[in-house]
This record gives sequence, structure tokens and C-alpha cells, in this order.
Amino acid sequence: MTDVRAPQAGSGNAPAGPAAPAGETDTPPARPEPGAFGVVAWARWGWRQLTSMRIALVLLFLLALGSVPGSLLPQQGVDPAAVQQYYTAHPALAPFLNALGLFNVFGAPWFAAIYLLLFISLAGCVLPRTFRLARSARALPPQAPRHLSRLPNSVRYETDMTAGDASAAAAALLSRRHFRLNQGEGWLSAEKGYRREVGNLLFHIALMGVLVSVGVGGLFGYKADRLLVEGTSFADTVTDLDAYHPGHFVSPADLAPFSLTLDKFSASYIASGPDRNQPASFDAHLSYTAQPGGPVRSYNLQVNHPLSVDSTKVYLIGHGYAPVFRVTDGRGKVVYDQATPFLPADQSTYLSEGVVKAPDAKPQQLGFAGVFLPTAVDVNGQLQSAFPAAYEPAVSMIPYAGNLGLNSGVAQSVYQLNTGAMHRLATSAQVLAPGQSMKLPDGAGTLTFTGYRQWISIQVTYDPGQVPALISGIVALIGLVLSFLVRRRRIFVRAYRGDSGRTVVDVGGLARSDVGGGFEAEFAELAADLRSVHDGADSGAGRPPDAAAPGEAGPRAAPAGGDDSQPAPVTVTTPGHGDHDSSPRSEETG
Amino acid sequence: MRPVSDNLGLAQLSDHLLIIAVVIYSLAMLAYAGDFAYGRRRAAATAAGKTARPVPELAGVGASSGAGTPETPETPETPETPETPSAAVPPATAGPAAGGAERLGPLIRGAIGLTYLGLAVHLAGVVTRGVAVHRVPWGDMYEFVTALTCVTVVFFVALMMRYRAWHLGVFVMGAVVAALGLAQTVIYTPAGPLVPALKSYWLAIHVAAMTLSVGIFFVAAVLGVVYLFTERYTRRVAAGRSPANHGIMRRLPGAEELDRLTYRTVVFGFPVWTFGIIAGAIWADQAWGRYWGWDPVETWAFITWVVYACFLHARATAGWRGRRAAYIQLIGFACLLFNVLVVQTFVTGLHSYSGLG
Repeated sequence: MTDVRAPQAGSGNAPAGPAAPAGETDTPPARPEPGAFGVVAWARWGWRQLTSMRIALVLLFLLALGSVPGSLLPQQGVDPAAVQQYYTAHPALAPFLNALGLFNVFGAPWFAAIYLLLFISLAGCVLPRTFRLARSARALPPQAPRHLSRLPNSVRYETDMTAGDASAAAAALLSRRHFRLNQGEGWLSAEKGYRREVGNLLFHIALMGVLVSVGVGGLFGYKADRLLVEGTSFADTVTDLDAYHPGHFVSPADLAPFSLTLDKFSASYIASGPDRNQPASFDAHLSYTAQPGGPVRSYNLQVNHPLSVDSTKVYLIGHGYAPVFRVTDGRGKVVYDQATPFLPADQSTYLSEGVVKAPDAKPQQLGFAGVFLPTAVDVNGQLQSAFPAAYEPAVSMIPYAGNLGLNSGVAQSVYQLNTGAMHRLATSAQVLAPGQSMKLPDGAGTLTFTGYRQWISIQVTYDPGQVPALISGIVALIGLVLSFLVRRRRIFVRAYRGDSGRTVVDVGGLARSDVGGGFEAEFAELAADLRSVHDGADSGAGRPPDAAAPGEAGPRAAPAGGDDSQPAPVTVTTPGHGDHDSSPRSEETG
Repeated sequence: MRPVSDNLGLAQLSDHLLIIAVVIYSLAMLAYAGDFAYGRRRAAATAAGKTARPVPELAGVGASSGAGTPETPETPETPETPETPSAAVPPATAGPAAGGAERLGPLIRGAIGLTYLGLAVHLAGVVTRGVAVHRVPWGDMYEFVTALTCVTVVFFVALMMRYRAWHLGVFVMGAVVAALGLAQTVIYTPAGPLVPALKSYWLAIHVAAMTLSVGIFFVAAVLGVVYLFTERYTRRVAAGRSPANHGIMRRLPGAEELDRLTYRTVVFGFPVWTFGIIAGAIWADQAWGRYWGWDPVETWAFITWVVYACFLHARATAGWRGRRAAYIQLIGFACLLFNVLVVQTFVTGLHSYSGLG
């Protein structure tokens, strides 16, 4: 990250830890002799290493490299089921990978170590540079070099003005162009483009801001999921959420006290063409209250249109079918009557799987496992779903009787039936249309498929780091553009009495950073303008030469358009065509 | 369902236009290549053709681009080169008639004309696709590739107009033809509507930024490859192992200039890429409930960003400039390609919109 200019030294791009003054070359700092310097010297050496560009580069590479397994291996935080699958598929390899933290790369200590080191390196480079920039904001450009013709850009001409007048006229012109001036006996230095370093620093500081924002969001935010069937409600409390992931500093009392009801959900799908069965739109009609007792509002929750309640957001992240079943047990008592969410097993047809558990059924507990088919069709005796919308809804269920195992102490998924202690009541599944029932053998009871409702899964998120992260990101972008667009450059003028008796004017130019190029053109134009002022031919720019008193020009903001490159109207000597980028004094981005 | 039907006739027109664009680009590429082979061959040049013998007019190898190179009168000859009517540069107007500082051979001018023509057809193909599906034409992988290659050609033309390095055209056109050819064969997807997750104005913003930056990085990658060859050649010449004034190298910009050009291209693309990531994060927040979730595509966008940041830093670090920096830049582009072609298609994630599944 260190990319400090080396003002007068022969080499640019010095590493600059606090102990490394600007002007140092980019060679690695000398290792202290063991024992000879002690802890302080070693610490200083380590600090310099850490804040050097080389180490920053290596850390950047490691960051990129470390992210790779996070995208190619299943991640615990993104898809826990996929991690389980991976364990099953590679029983020997998975524990080893897990020990390395490769199923949770972005939360792994080694990954944190990389980015924390990187940001320490960044801070160790950026902060001293900020101070230096603050100092240089008050400093004047250095004295003009003696031989301007040695600069990457230079031009020489003669004028009838006296040397003093020529200097003053040049100072007036450059001052009008918002250059910062320094003047001495027969010479003039002008500098412009401090915003480049400002932009560069802004970019790096804003990156640290992004990291801090992410940290704040992780510590003070929370994330939760909830499955909601049509006609049901939920309140944003810890007990009413399905999967609740609070940050370290979140207490249950911090949750926004809203509650909401899913009134109706509708989905539409493409019915024909190559994209048949693809979803076209989802609309979840909600009614919600921001606080208990508050007014009831309605909202149409869609993908890409989250609901904002205070600063908590509610997202539509999934949907499915919940067939409604009624179970009557052997005694003729209704022991189950509710909508049962089934999970989609096939995204294109919404064939969904699920189970019904009736633990209160007597004499034996009853369980049913099966599928819901939104548009059931018979293909050669095989029941399939042809379309994700519920045009011909049907269920196909297999009944079980026995012990559901709900009291065994082992947690059970509500979407799976533990049939270990149960026996099958029918050899094959029975297909039911809405309103149809299946009688269980031996008078064990009845299962009725009374209809279906739809469910949505929503995500509730509160992330206080979001807005700071966005602002940091935008500031970083502005800083980046600024540091790429603005070039920092110096113009030197020397006016003296030549052998012929006329005044000789030397103009030299130096771009200390010229990423976008175009300094030559700017210099050429500037040199031409100076010349026309000195020739007295330019009336428009010819204000009284005493407009700017020497040494008076302080830091000024240049106009926004001041860095555009213009065509070059005069011939200028530019040795090594466009050498400014590779010139030893040039400065590149960090 | 919303009764917005796609205009199949227009979609078909778009397909045809894009195929025509590939044909024209191919011809342009051949014309650029033909210029290497025959363009400035002196009358004394041997029939060996491909590598013209050293011409003692240039002091420094590759020190200058085509512009401003002192040159001998051209012999306009285009016998075996595939000319189309659109290459409307009759040989008669070549040479002295062109005058000025910019004296380009008839072949290269034909190639430039073909580039413009191809670009116009390409642009028309992208626009008609958008009109046919009533949305921005970058909703699936096929559209993404056709749009980004369009950006590549626009950027190439802009770059070459400014820096007059038209001879790079053969490489850019080659890469564009390859990418477009791939788009039309392997990843072709018929015009269709969007899934709900993509129905957002952020599609226009995020994917446009990504398309733009990938198109620009594409140019940078081509320049980087040419740079590596040029740089190697320069070193070989310095070591006396290669003859100076190689026929092809002679026409290319020098290694330093290519390096600078590459850098400026990346500098142009990097903020756009950054913006694309930020816009994507805002969209992800709206669509998926978090602005960053290490989805595989997000991760690879991040990796790409970091590698290009490495390149920008490496170029400012002694010992990393030049060849090493160029390799880093190409690694960055490889990450980008991997993201576009492999991760978005084969790795399950939220970005699986390629339409190929």
C-alpha cells in the first residue's frame, strides 16, 4: 500500500513506515543484527516490513488465494446442507478440510489474520502519508532545478521583457491557473494536483471504513429466517423466529417489535416456450404493524422489493406449498388438522416433499410421508408434476403407524419421518385430490387432503453496518477516480539575460504522477500560453503582471476540468516520448 | 403472467446481425493480419513474405507506433487478401493521397473500415436483442458476452484513435471473434424473459458496469499479451538473439508504450469494476437480504478486484514492474474469465442466471 513519493531522491515509491522517512528506496529494510539492537530494532524492522509495498502485495495475493476455496468448497454459512453432502461424499477428506477451516473460510482465523495484517499494513502506510500530506499542504514547491532542459518536458525561448517582468508575468499566469507558487531570484516553481494524493488516501482510508462497517454489522446486527403460511402471523421475537443468528452484542430486546401476517401469496410462471416453468413473478401480500398497537399497514413483498420496518428489513427468499391435512385416528377423533409446509424438491415443477406427524393418534401414533404435486399428471402410470402452479393439485402419501420417536430426546426435523419404530400401513402410496380421503387399514384412522395453502420464507435482517459500508464504498470509488484522474505536476520557469541581450526563458515541466497520460499536451499548451504572454501578443490573459505577489499563493483548489489533456499546438522537447510514467520521480497509485 | 411476449422476429434479426458481425470482424482480422504480411513490404522484399527483411529506417526497435514512422512509398497490393465490398478503400487512393502524418496502408485502412462496419452491425445486433425482449440486452450469459465484446471493440477503437496503434487490431479482433464465436455456439441462449430475481433496475446498472469493465479488461488483457511478446522480443534483440526490425514487431508499439497503454486501460476499467461491485452489493441487499454474502460469483469478483489491485500496486513497486506486473494483470483477467465462464455456469450459487443450466 505504500506508495509514497520521494520528493527529491533518485528513487520513487519508497516504503514509508513511520520510521522510514520519505525518500528511502524500495529495497527491503536492513535486518538488524541479532542481539545488537534488541527488541526495539526488531520491532521496527518488523513494522517496516509489514508496511512495505512488497508485503502488502504478498498479503493481497494471499487474500485472493485464500478466497478461492471459499468459492469452490461448500460453506457452512452459505449452504450447510451442501457441507453435509460433502462430508458424505468425501468422508476421508472432509474432516481434514474442516480442520483447516475450509468450510468456513471467511470466518477462519487464518483468513482473518490475512486481512487484519493487510489492514494494519494499510494503516501503517496511510496514516503517516496523511500527516505528510497535511504538512505539505502548507509547504511550498521546491526551488526550480538549475538546468530545466534536463527535465522530461522543457522549452526555451527569448522575449523582450526584462527577466523580472517575465518572471512576474509567468507567476501571474500560473497563479490564475491555480498553481501553488514559490518564487526566488530569477526562478519560479509551481505545483498543482494535490488532490491526487488526497484521492489515493481517501480510497485507502475508505477501504478500512468498509472493513470496520462489516465488523460493526456482524457485532450489532442480526439475521433470522421464518417460514410463514398464508393466513398466519408472526412477531419479530426470538422465540417466534426459525433460525436466529444474532451478532455478539445483540440482546433479544433489540429486535424491532413488528409483527406481520401473510394474507395471500401468488406466483406466476411462464407457461410456454423454452423458459416454460420458470417463475415470472412473486407477490406476497402482507399486513404488518411496526409496533404492538400501531396502525396496520399492507405491503406487497416481492423479490427485489424488501419491506423496511424502522431499520429492519424483511425479504422474500422462498416459497412453497403447504397441503392441509386432517387426520382422524382409530377412535374417530380429529388429531391433526392444519396446513403442513412441504419443501420443494424440484424447482421447475415444484414437486414438494413433506411429512405429517400425528403424535396424539390412538391407539398408535400415525405418520405420513409423501409428495405434493401442484399439477399432477399421469405419465405411464407414474405420477409427476407438470407445472409449478397449482392447476391440478394432488398429494401422494404413504401411511405409517407406530412410535414417531418424538420423545426420544433426539431433535427431529419437521420435514422428515423417523420410521425406525413404525410400520408401513400400505404397500403403495395413495393419490388424493383435494377433498379426498384415504382410509387406513385395520381401522387405524383416516387421512383427508382438504386443500392447500402457500407459504413463503422470509428473512429478517438488521445490519447497522450497511449504510456506513455503502458510504465507505462510494468514498473509496471517488478517491479512486480522483487519484486516477488528477495528475500531480510541477512547472518551473527560469528567466535570465542571455548572451544576445534579450531575456531567455526556460520552462520545464515534471509530472510526478500521470496515470492517464496527457501531461505533455498540457505542458505544451501551458508553455505556449506563457510564451504568448511574454511576447505580449496575448491580450486576453494579459492581466497586470503584479497580480500575484511572490510567496502569496497558498493552497488552492483547481477547477474540476483543469486536468483535461489538450492538443499540443507547439513543439516541445520531450525526450523519451512519454517517459513521465517510467521516470524515476514519477509516482504511481497505491 | 404478464402478457409481454418477445418479438421473435427481432430476436432472429439480432441473431443474424451478430453472425454477420463475426464474419465482418473475421475479415477485419484477416485484413489486419494481411497488413502485417504485405502492407508495407518494400519492392525489394523477398517472396518470403511474412517476415520482411530488416528495414534500416528505424533506429529503435518498436520505438514507435505506426504513426510518424518515416516510410517508403507503399506498394498497394492486395492479391490474396479477402476483400469485401465494404472495404471501400480502393488501392488507388493509398499512399501519397493519404498524406499527413498518418500514412496507413490500404489493407490497414480496409481493416479499420471493416472494424467500424462490424461494430455498427454488432451494435445493431445488441440493440435489436434488447428491443426484442423489452429490457436491457444483458440478462443472460449469451447477451452478456455479446454486449461486453461490443464494449471491447468500442474501447479498442477509441484507444486506437487516440494512440494510433491500429496494428494491434489483429489481436483485438482475434480475441473478439473468438469470444463472439463462443457466444454463438456454446453459450447461445434464445431470447427470453427474466426470472423475478433479475427484474430490477439494478440489472441495468450492475450488469452494465460489469459488462463495461469486462470489455475494457478484455482490451487490457490483449494488450498485456502483446506486451509480453514485445518485451521478450526486445530482450532477445538486446541479447543479440533475434534480428532487429522484425516484420511484425516493427509495426507494433514498443514494449514501454504497450505497458503504459495496458496500465491506462486497467486504470480505466478498475473504477468501473469497483462501481459494478458496489452496485451489485446494493442490489444483493435488495434481492437477497445482505450486501455481501460470499456467493461464489461475489467471491470471484472480489478475487478479481484484489488481483487487479495487485497489478496497480505492482506497477508502482520496484522489481515488480514490467513483466511481473503484466503476468499479474493476465492472472486477473483469467480470474475474470473463470468467474464468467465457469463459476456462473457450473458452481451453484445465487448468480446462476446464465440460462445454460
